[in-house]
Amino acid sequence: MLLTAAAGVLLGLFLDQIYVGLILVVALTLGIQLRQLWLLDDWLRHRNFRTQPESDGLWGDIISLVSNLHRRKQFHKKRILNLFRELRRSTASMPDGVVAINAAHEIVWFNRKAGELLGLRRKTDFGIRIAGLLRSPKFSRYLEKADFNMGVLVHPHPGESICLEFQGVPYGEGQVFLLVRNVTRQNQLEVMRKDFIANASHELRSPLTVIAGYLEVLSTDPALVEQLREPVLEMRRQSERMTTILSDLLELSRLEATDEQVVGSAIDMPALFGALRKDVAARKLASPEILLQIETADDLLGDLGLVHSAILNLLDNALKYAPDSTEITLRWSADLTGGHCAVIDTGPGIASEHLPRLTERFYRVDPSRARATGGSGLGLAIVRHVMQRHGGELKIHSLQGQGSSFTCHFPPQRLIHHTVANISDTRYSSITQA
Amino acid sequence: METADLSQHISRRFNEDLERVRTQMLEMGGFVEQQLARAILALVEGDSLMGEQVARDDLKVNTMELSLDEECSRILATRAPAAGDLRLIVAIIKGITDLERMGDECEKIGYLAARLATQERPADKYREVKHLGRIVQEMVRDSLDAFARMDPEAALRVARRDSLVDEEYEAIQRQSITFMMEDPRQIRRALDVMWAVRALERIGDHAKNICEYVVYMVHGKDIRHVSLDEAEISLGKSGAA
Repeated sequence: MLLTAAAGVLLGLFLDQIYVGLILVVALTLGIQLRQLWLLDDWLRHRNFRTQPESDGLWGDIISLVSNLHRRKQFHKKRILNLFRELRRSTASMPDGVVAINAAHEIVWFNRKAGELLGLRRKTDFGIRIAGLLRSPKFSRYLEKADFNMGVLVHPHPGESICLEFQGVPYGEGQVFLLVRNVTRQNQLEVMRKDFIANASHELRSPLTVIAGYLEVLSTDPALVEQLREPVLEMRRQSERMTTILSDLLELSRLEATDEQVVGSAIDMPALFGALRKDVAARKLASPEILLQIETADDLLGDLGLVHSAILNLLDNALKYAPDSTEITLRWSADLTGGHCAVIDTGPGIASEHLPRLTERFYRVDPSRARATGGSGLGLAIVRHVMQRHGGELKIHSLQGQGSSFTCHFPPQRLIHHTVANISDTRYSSITQA
Repeated sequence: METADLSQHISRRFNEDLERVRTQMLEMGGFVEQQLARAILALVEGDSLMGEQVARDDLKVNTMELSLDEECSRILATRAPAAGDLRLIVAIIKGITDLERMGDECEKIGYLAARLATQERPADKYREVKHLGRIVQEMVRDSLDAFARMDPEAALRVARRDSLVDEEYEAIQRQSITFMMEDPRQIRRALDVMWAVRALERIGDHAKNICEYVVYMVHGKDIRHVSLDEAEISLGKSGAA
């Protein structure tokens, strides 16, 4: 600056007019600076980063700074691009299909496998709602419910055997990753297994009937040798047990045959409870007292046969596993969350580690008692399936030493409300009877 | 500023409404596809329970049509859509009518399947019917895919397949006539099968209609009652222009 001023003064002295000299020098400097600025602008505008404009001083510094920045940016860009390519390649080689959808359920992205499985096309299918291309009512319900704890099995083309399993993984704000797997084979195996159980139990039933019949005749035959009496009686008991197991297996496979919800008709719960109590009382000589608590006049909309078998199973269990409880309570109540049918005993209770596995087939809390109680080990599995077919669930609460409660929760839409006016006299009498 | 926000808000809600009815229509289509698959299975496997189930489930298709119809009228009344949006709504209103008719035809097949299940199955195990059923199922699926993708070229390709269905229908008809002449006791059964086949053929026609709505929706051209070749030429022109 000072140098420029001195040069201006010198030039001014030479020309005898200091101001003119100063102005000339300032104009010259400005011109040079403007040219530099224009060069810089041109350079940045055309992104010609390979060749840098020749500059020194402050301008040179700026230019080298900018090109440094640019180089660093290029480096990061390349790294991120490589990373992205790597990611895309790795997802493409994944054995499972992946579809990313946004909050409106529009397809944002999918990998190659998902494209193959679902028949999606790159580019054209981005932004299309997935329910439009995968039109299974079951799948739409799954997305709508947004409950991604469980997967869902979908037949993408009705009438064909292809079966896909979808598992949603929510991320971000309402976005979902859908993992798609082809489970056609597993599904076929599952169907084969169910068919096998149903057929096998059906086929075993007729020979067993013959055996049980002869055993019954034998055991009551007075000519039977005394030594054989006890073995024959034991054989008869065991054949009866086998019959129960087979009929339970058959009932279970019938329940499993479809996962469609039953519609059913209105069930008068107090009447059902009363009938159950009568059945049990007629069967057993010394059983704990069965109390009925009816806390609502609502009817249950369901399949009478299934609900009857479910409650009977629970009641049987209570009688079997809590024989020394003073009383067993059957309770029917309703609130905003739906209807609740509970079987409560005051028996020994169940240890908490058994609770989650209790509804598995043939699961025994105490394996050594399996024979003594004579159950099939399928009762609670049947109850669980009955509840699934009614859109409800079975909840078990138990405290050791205080007893257990098995509650069937039915959803609210399965309740039929009664206003006071249309409760008939017979209903009142049935409640008081109960 | 505020008004701009408001109008954007309104148009977003509008788009949301349109997308929803479109998805719902396709979901209804998905249910009809399922009904069709089960009806054909019930017929060829002689499963009377499934046949009755299909006939009963037609109620759901009818309910879906009613609710979608109401939703479309509501959009027409409150949003007064124009141009492409209007065409979309019109296409949906027409499309659901066709889907509902397809549902009715499935119901018919279900009834017939339940009735035919009590009788002896023919020697060929309905091979021709199965084949026709597969073609019709694919047509329905691809027409709905074209609707979802708004793809008029694919729609025209599907519409062309309708002639294939007609040929198959003719073939089965000729075959049935031979059966009836050979053994007059088979006439009742053969007539029932004929009715089911006729229903399948009608479903193919309805699938073709849906394809025509796709073309209408995208290009704004009505290609009904025009041969497909002419339609393609006129679309080609509009594409070039």
